[in-house]
Amino acid sequence: MVITVCIGSSCHLKGSREIVKTLESLILSHDLKNKIELNGSFCMENCLKGVCVKINEEMFSLVPNNTEQFFKEEVLRRLSDECNQL
Amino acid sequence: MNVSIDTSYKSLNKHHEELCGDKVEILKTNDSHILILSDGMGSGVKANILATLTSKILGTMFLNGASIDECVETIVKTLPVCQERQIAYSTFSILQIFNSGEGYLVEFDNPSCVFIRNEKLLKVPYMERTIENKTVREYHFQVQLNDCFILLSDGVIHAGVGQVLNFGWTWNSMAEYALKSVKSTLSASRLATMLIKACKDLYNDIPGDDTTVAVARVIERKVINLFTGPPTNKKDDARLIHDFMEEPAARIICGGTSANIAARILNRKVKTSLEYTDSTLPPIAKMEGMVLVTEGVLTLSRALALMKYYVDGEINEVFFDELDKENGGSMIAKRIIEDCSVLNLFVGKAVNEAHQNPGLPFNLSIRMNLVVQIKEAALKMGKEVHIKYY
Repeated sequence: MVITVCIGSSCHLKGSREIVKTLESLILSHDLKNKIELNGSFCMENCLKGVCVKINEEMFSLVPNNTEQFFKEEVLRRLSDECNQL
Repeated sequence: MNVSIDTSYKSLNKHHEELCGDKVEILKTNDSHILILSDGMGSGVKANILATLTSKILGTMFLNGASIDECVETIVKTLPVCQERQIAYSTFSILQIFNSGEGYLVEFDNPSCVFIRNEKLLKVPYMERTIENKTVREYHFQVQLNDCFILLSDGVIHAGVGQVLNFGWTWNSMAEYALKSVKSTLSASRLATMLIKACKDLYNDIPGDDTTVAVARVIERKVINLFTGPPTNKKDDARLIHDFMEEPAARIICGGTSANIAARILNRKVKTSLEYTDSTLPPIAKMEGMVLVTEGVLTLSRALALMKYYVDGEINEVFFDELDKENGGSMIAKRIIEDCSVLNLFVGKAVNEAHQNPGLPFNLSIRMNLVVQIKEAALKMGKEVHIKYY
């Protein structure tokens, strides 16, 4: 799974650095380094909905406060779905 | 010869003095660069006035094509006479380097210029001449790429006299130190800062005399092409990128959308890093063929702040430490300050609607303003600047 966080100007000001830090530590603490690739990207052209975060090609709009919730509800759920399908 | 001259100078005031009795003038004519250093007799206000008058008269007359004989004559007849000593006196050195590579140096009572070529000290033959009872030394020579010239006031070779060193720094030790420093520095400003720092240390922070070094380095003409901001009309994207890529240059892109436009048209990938080398700036990215890819206005604002400080502020090692940092803002500023003679700006005027949000803690809709200020700062540094809007 690839998670991409927008680090363009607007998203940067809305807290993409905090989101990156939170995601990095969550990935580490859940021991998912082999399953998740965390990337940055310049402007995703959806600034009004920033901070823009993508799981593969699916777009989400985050703020630093709901990052952990996003990780549990979207990231972990998708990973377990993938496991179940196998 | 397709060369450019990088010039800079630094001074220390004699302890307890508010004004420096040494004065440097840096001038540019259509076909040459001129560097003048004069050291007025005494210290403080009097010395400052003598040195300023001398360097200004020399500069103005030289710019208008006067001969050195006429200049010396004018100075002798114009300088106010010191009441204590009953003489009017200020030393000077004038270095003129023509774009053709021809060089001319004339010295009156200043320590000799330090010439450095191919990592060696160079002895250049001179002619002595007497003008108005003053003996001047004249040098004619041909400059080469990477040549370095250092003009100094006597405060430099006397640094530390009677304190740290019996006879002061001396010309020979200073020249050896300069030789080593030339190898480890890129630009004239960094070299001048390093040399003046050495003087300050030798004086134990209490300079016994006004102390000045002025540096001229012969450098390759270096072009930077900087692209920031998407064009107002999308159909101009390709034209902008074509212009941006045309001339051989070090290429920098500032702006996420700008980087994406370049990636799309050139069919290259933007590889963004997630390494926050500075907590307040977004990380930088990489793209084939570009020396640097960064976020836009935040990074440019930082670069501009550094450039402005360089132009107006008291630059020292602390400033250069900041300039050496690995964040986008420092990296852009360092390139423009130390590694550029021509700056071409390719600026798109499109406005990002999300940037108009008053809720953001920083005004992002200031690209145009930034670009104009960057141009002004670069001009003050003596760079050639061109802007093209799209």
